[in-house]
Amino acid sequence: MIRRPRITQWLVIMLAAVMTAAPVLYAADQQQLVIYHWWTAGGERQAMQVIFDAFTKKNPSTKIVDNPVAGGGGITLKTVLLGMLAAKIPPDTFQSLSGAELKQYVDGDYVASVDDVWRAQKLDANYPAVIGKMTTFKGQHYGIPMNAHRANWLFYNTKLFNELKLAPPTTVDEMIAAAKRIKSSKPNVAPIAIGTREKWPAVFLFDVTLLSTGGPDVYEKFYTGQLSVKTAPEVRAALQKFKDLIPYLYQFHGAKTWSDIAGPMAEGQMGMMVIGDFAAGLLVQAGYKEGVDWDAAGFPKKPQEVFLMIVDTFVRPTGAKHPEATTAWLTNLTDPKVQGEFNIVKGSIAIHKAVPDTTYPDKLHQEASRTFKSKRIVPSSIHGVLAPPAFLSDWQDILTRFLYSPDINRALDEISSAMELDKVSDSSGWYWAK
Amino acid sequence: MAYTRAHALLFLAPLLLIVLVMYGMMAWTVAVSLDDWVGMAPVWKYHGLENFRTLLGGALRERLFTSLRNNLIWLVVFIAPTTALGLFLAYGLDLVGRAERVLRPLFLYPIALSFVVSGTLWAWMYDPDAGVINNLFRMLGLGRWAQPWIADPHLATFCLVGAAVWQYTGFAMTLYLAAIRDMPREIFEAARVDGATDVQTFRHVVIPNVGHATMIVVAMLILVTLKVFDLVWVMTFGGPGISTEVLPFFMFVATFRQQFVGIGAAVSVLILILAVAVVVPYAWWSMRRLAA
Repeated sequence: MIRRPRITQWLVIMLAAVMTAAPVLYAADQQQLVIYHWWTAGGERQAMQVIFDAFTKKNPSTKIVDNPVAGGGGITLKTVLLGMLAAKIPPDTFQSLSGAELKQYVDGDYVASVDDVWRAQKLDANYPAVIGKMTTFKGQHYGIPMNAHRANWLFYNTKLFNELKLAPPTTVDEMIAAAKRIKSSKPNVAPIAIGTREKWPAVFLFDVTLLSTGGPDVYEKFYTGQLSVKTAPEVRAALQKFKDLIPYLYQFHGAKTWSDIAGPMAEGQMGMMVIGDFAAGLLVQAGYKEGVDWDAAGFPKKPQEVFLMIVDTFVRPTGAKHPEATTAWLTNLTDPKVQGEFNIVKGSIAIHKAVPDTTYPDKLHQEASRTFKSKRIVPSSIHGVLAPPAFLSDWQDILTRFLYSPDINRALDEISSAMELDKVSDSSGWYWAK
Repeated sequence: MAYTRAHALLFLAPLLLIVLVMYGMMAWTVAVSLDDWVGMAPVWKYHGLENFRTLLGGALRERLFTSLRNNLIWLVVFIAPTTALGLFLAYGLDLVGRAERVLRPLFLYPIALSFVVSGTLWAWMYDPDAGVINNLFRMLGLGRWAQPWIADPHLATFCLVGAAVWQYTGFAMTLYLAAIRDMPREIFEAARVDGATDVQTFRHVVIPNVGHATMIVVAMLILVTLKVFDLVWVMTFGGPGISTEVLPFFMFVATFRQQFVGIGAAVSVLILILAVAVVVPYAWWSMRRLAA
C-alpha cells in the first residue's frame, strides 16, 4: 500500500516523457519538404500546384508537406511562424516578401544565407539588380524571389471612359480632372472606386499620388525615413493632392473591401480604381473582359513611369530539418520555365529575364513584363516590402483616418511620430547600403 | 480500495498543470512587458516601466485611450441589452410551453456560430449600399434613417456592439432559462392563484429570483467585452482609422504585426489589471447582495 503512490508518480512522469518524445520521433521521418505559405485563394492554390508538380518531377523521392495558411500578404502566416521559429522547430522553407519584411527574419537569425543557390543559378545576371538588393542583408542573400506583382495600376471602366471620351489619366491631376468629368455628367457613378475596410488599399492610392507629385526618388526616401516629414514640402504636397481626391472617392469606402468594389467598377457604377495587378485575375474570374468591360494602365506615367513592385520570396530557415530538400526547392523556383507557368496562373510576372513577355495570355501582364524590363523598378511600400512592417501598420491607420478627417498638419504629426516610434530610418539602412 | 492523498494529487495533477502553465504565462507576460523586446526573436533588455510610459503618456497615448474608451463603450452598451433581452426571452420561452423546443435552438444558434462568420454576415448587413438594413429602411419609406453604419467612425463601434448583442443574447437566455426552471413551480402557482398577470409575475416573481444568474451572466459578459477581438478584426479591422480599436486588438497588432512585443505585453498587463479591477469588485458586490 505504501509503495503504490510512488508507482503512480512514475507512471505520470513516464506518460509526460512519452508525450514529449512522440512529436520528435515522428519528425525523424523520410526525406520531405515542410513548406509554409499563404497562397490559398482560388488561382493561387493552382499556381502553387504548378511549382509542386515541377518540384516532384525533379525530386521524385521527396514528399511535400504542404501547410497553407490563409490571410493576404501573410498576416496570419507570420503569426504562426513567429511561434514555430521561436520554438526552434522551423519548416524547411516558408514564404516571405523581399525587403523590410525579409529583414525581420534575418534580424532574428531565423533564416540562413542562400548565396550558394544565388550563385549557382547566376541570379545576379538573370534577375534585375534591385531584386538582389532587396534580398541582401549583411552582405549576403537571404531569399529566392520568384515573381513580381505590380502595384501601380489604374483600372478603369472602358465603356464609361469611351462614352465620356476620357483618356486614361497619366498623373493624379489628370485623374482628378477625369473624376470631375464623371461626377458632373454621371452623378450616380462614384468616380474613384476604393474599399478601405481592410485599410491597405488606401496605401495603394497614396503611393501613386506620391509617385505622381514627387517621383520615385521622393517615394523611396519617404518610405525609408530619409525625409524630415514635418518640413519636407514633398510630403505635404502629396497629402494635399491626396486630400483633393477625397470628394471623388466612393463615399462608403470604409464598408467595402477591395474585392467588393472591383465588380461595381467593371459594371460602370464606379469609374476607376488604383490597385495591384491581382485585381485583373478577380475581374476575369467574375466574367468581366479586359478591353471590353475594363482596362488598366500603368499609373502614373509622369514625371516617370515606374514598376512599383511586390516580390514573393522563399527562404532557407536556420536549422531546417531537410536541407537538401530546401536547396532543391529554392533551385526549382529559379527555373524560367517554372516561373513562366506559375505566373500565368498566379497573375503576376516572372522575374527571370529569360521569360519572354509573350508568355502571358493577357494584355495587362504582357505590358507589366515589358515595363519590368524597360522601366525603373521601385519596391512598393505595401506589406512591408520597402517600408518596415511596423510603420506600415500605423501608416494605414493614419491614411484611413485622413480619408475621414483630412487634416494635413495632424497627419504630418502622426507620420513623424510613427516613423520615430517604428524606427523607420534606422531599420531602412539596408536599402541605402552600397 | 481506499483513496489516499496521492490519489487526490494524481487526479488534480492535470488541473494543477494547467493552472501552473496559465499563471506561469501571466508571469512571463509581466516580465516581457518590462523589456524592450522589438522584433521576432526574444530580446531580454530590461527597461523598467518604459513600455507603460509610452502607452500612458508617450507616443501611443492616443491609441491606448481610444482602445480603452471603446472597451468602456462595449462595457456600457453591450451588457445591459444582452442581459435584459436574455432574461426577457428566457421568461418568454418558459411561458410559450411546447413551442419552446423549436424556439430555444433558434435563439441559441448565433452563439454556436464562429465570430468570423457572424462578423462577415453583419458586415454585409451593415453595408450602406447593398446591405439589408439600409435597404429595409428604403423599402419601408424610411430612407432618411439609412446610415453609413460601419463606414462611419462615430457609429462603427455601436454597430459592432449590435452584432455582439445578437450573438450573446442566446447565451444569456440559456443561463436565465436554467435559473427560471430552477425556481420552485409553487411560486408561479401561487402568483397565478393570486391573480398576477404574466408581466406582474415577471416583475415581482422572476426578477427577484434570478439574481445569481444575473451575477454569472454579467460577469461573463464583462469578460467578453474585455477580450472582444474577432468581431472587430473581421468587421472593421479597427477602422475607420483606429476608431473601433479595442485593447485586445491593439495588443495583437502591436505584438504580431508591428512586433513591439514588449509593448504588446504591456497592453496585456493593462487588460489583466482592468479585468481584475472590474470583475472582482463586481463579484464581491453581487455576492454580498445575494447573501443579504
